Amino acid sequence: MLWTTKYRPKNFKEVLGNTKAKDEISDWIDAWLIGQHPKPLLLVGPPGTGKTTLAHLVADEFADFIELNASDKRSYDILLRTVGEASASGSLFNQGLKLIILDEVDGIHGTDDRGGIRAISKIIKEGQNPLIMIANDPYSKRIKSLKSKCQVINIRKIHTNSIVALLKRICIKEGIEFEEHVLRTLAKQSKGDLRSAINDLETMARGKDTITSQDLEIISQKDEIRNIFDSVRGVLKSKNPQHIKEAMRVEANPAFILELITENIPREYEKKHEIEQAYEMVSQADTYLGRAFQTRNYGYWKYSYDLMSLGVALSKDETYKKFARYTNSSVYTLLSKSRAKRDLKDRVADKIGEKTHTSRKVAKEQFPYLEMMFQINDLARELADYFNLDDSEVKVFRSRKIPKKKKSKKSTGANKDKNSKKPSNQVKKVKSVEKIKKDTTNKKDETKRKSKADTSEKSTKKSDKSYGKRLAKKDKTAIDKSDDDTDNLDSKKNGDKQTSLFNF
Amino acid sequence: MNGPWVEKYRPQTLDEVVGQDHIIQRLKRYIEEGSMPNLMFTGPAGVGKTTTALALAKSVLGEYWRQNFLELNASDARGIDTVRKDIKNFCRLKPIGAPFRLIFLDEVDNMTKDAQHALRREMEMYTKTSSFILSCNYSSKIIDPIQSRCAIFRFTPVKGHQIIKRLEKIAESENIKTNPGALESIVYFAEGDMRRAVNILQASSTIEKEITEESVYEVVSKAKPRDVRKIINKALEGNFMEARDQLREVMVVQGTSGEDMITQIYQEVSKMAMEGLIEEHVYVDLIENIGKFDFRIREGSNPRIQLEALLTKFLLKNKQ
Repeated sequence: MLWTTKYRPKNFKEVLGNTKAKDEISDWIDAWLIGQHPKPLLLVGPPGTGKTTLAHLVADEFADFIELNASDKRSYDILLRTVGEASASGSLFNQGLKLIILDEVDGIHGTDDRGGIRAISKIIKEGQNPLIMIANDPYSKRIKSLKSKCQVINIRKIHTNSIVALLKRICIKEGIEFEEHVLRTLAKQSKGDLRSAINDLETMARGKDTITSQDLEIISQKDEIRNIFDSVRGVLKSKNPQHIKEAMRVEANPAFILELITENIPREYEKKHEIEQAYEMVSQADTYLGRAFQTRNYGYWKYSYDLMSLGVALSKDETYKKFARYTNSSVYTLLSKSRAKRDLKDRVADKIGEKTHTSRKVAKEQFPYLEMMFQINDLARELADYFNLDDSEVKVFRSRKIPKKKKSKKSTGANKDKNSKKPSNQVKKVKSVEKIKKDTTNKKDETKRKSKADTSEKSTKKSDKSYGKRLAKKDKTAIDKSDDDTDNLDSKKNGDKQTSLFNF
Repeated sequence: MNGPWVEKYRPQTLDEVVGQDHIIQRLKRYIEEGSMPNLMFTGPAGVGKTTTALALAKSVLGEYWRQNFLELNASDARGIDTVRKDIKNFCRLKPIGAPFRLIFLDEVDNMTKDAQHALRREMEMYTKTSSFILSCNYSSKIIDPIQSRCAIFRFTPVKGHQIIKRLEKIAESENIKTNPGALESIVYFAEGDMRRAVNILQASSTIEKEITEESVYEVVSKAKPRDVRKIINKALEGNFMEARDQLREVMVVQGTSGEDMITQIYQEVSKMAMEGLIEEHVYVDLIENIGKFDFRIREGSNPRIQLEALLTKFLLKNKQ
């Protein structure tokens, strides 16, 4: 049995710290037991402080309980079915109350657990049963709407002294000899996370009868895998090179760390020149990552690490004394949101690349032009045929489906034959519908032509006003003259642009 | 089924290839001799590298060119291992009805150095039966051992009058009228890229029966990355977060490439300078920075991060 389970508190008294929270929870239980219906509880606090333990102790006071956590899929339906049923059935028999525990509610996933928060709100409204929710992150957007409907109880980190005392007790019970400073170091390292302190102690001491400071080394190695956000915080909050180097000791892909630091620079730094300077460092760090990847010379990574950490850290004038909420990069959210769309585009680009002897990238560069070509029905049909695109793939280029081909003069004969098997009046109907369609399309065409004429008039007027276009004309004449001897169009053109710019 | 004009009017023989005369002449000599070293075609996009390779394959391999020709893209999504397996399987077999087998490998500059070294070995292994044509935008990104094993042909941007001649021919075959200024403006925007020129021509033809300068402008402005001016303005106002969010939307969701973005930023900044919205010395300073980040992007860094860094340069430019 894991020590964390073995030494899990058996009653409220044994739970370390958080006296006030415990009292509030006891009052809440009492209220239920005398028939009141107080608001649900929301336990919020960092990991390893006893939230789940408390919830399970509460469960002992009720007849039964049901628990869901992050590993269960929590979409709207599933939540309502399992939890909703539980809360309804409990009230039916009225034989004692069934407690509902929802662990890690801030971990309810945006798309996978569609409507999860909505379902919880519904359960809160209807449910006749006691409900306890647990969350790590007090600032999570996901639980914002829940907070007002709950009694929020903050569970704080456990004091180092309390942790040391508990570790001592465990050592004595397990018959392990110890040096007090070792336990103290362990406790400090855990940063108020009792669970991890016990786990660390178990790693060091299992199967032995004495622990010394040497054993701490095992733990300090493990410490390297620190929360990546601690690294980000270290970089953005500090100007002390040693702290920063320490903070960067994480095992993560450097591109990912860079992305997270980059994301949070403007959340921490407020002055424009700081943001600019920090981004310059980020840009250089990224350039070294690119070089490392291209040349397979990963020696470049060290420069990248220093630039993204120390470089960014020293870009601020002074450290900010404020709480900034750090987030994951919005790029990842955008990527996952747009994935279906991007996959579709890739598929289409591959099909086009196959026919036009181009890579996916070059094929995509032609998309804007293809989009315009696809606006013409006949051409769209032809191109879709040529590239072998199905209806869903055509949507990359036009929102409407391509209408079925109008019957041309040649094909009407064949169609007549087919139609002749049907009753003749239907054929007539079809024909007359066609006529109407033709009429309307003709009219539409006329109006279109008119409107186009209008717009082209407008655009000529516009073009006179536009400097850009005037410039373009200038350049064109320049190229015209120098057609025969230009080897490098670009330099000529740019030269022209520069001079024309300074003419103004 | 003709496909888009870029395919329909792709030159089928070496003589039809436009604007690379000196290269074509040398290639024809290989055909006369019936043997060919490994070739490397370098040059910007849309100047005829692939077209030349295809045309060359047809004339040097003759009737059975399809059976003896393998076209691969090095930046193919299937990964470089698959590409190499394909090469091996292809080269193991003897040429059928042709003097040798021909492998056309496009976008070699997108291969990592390791993959290039592996490719080098394969090029040596099959010299008796096969010949390689490698194609890339920048020959500087190709390792020296490969370069030294290839006859290098540098393709240049297609000249304006040559593009016009080709466009006129297409217009004639397609029975569409072009207004005199229209083709010249296509040339301006194509920047020596024939593929882009033909695409603009066809897209313009969908707007009106007669292609005018205005329809060309309309096409070009539609094809540009959107919202660039908005993003620049947000940054100039000092609202970095919003500018960054919009940039990410355009690049991540709409999938606009870093190169397209930076070109457009350059153009917008130039335009703003001429409209008097940006002072001269600020303009020069911004251009310096745009160039710097453009270089870093081309060197293979993450275009989005580089462009975000470029946006921060705008933050300090507004005195208000």
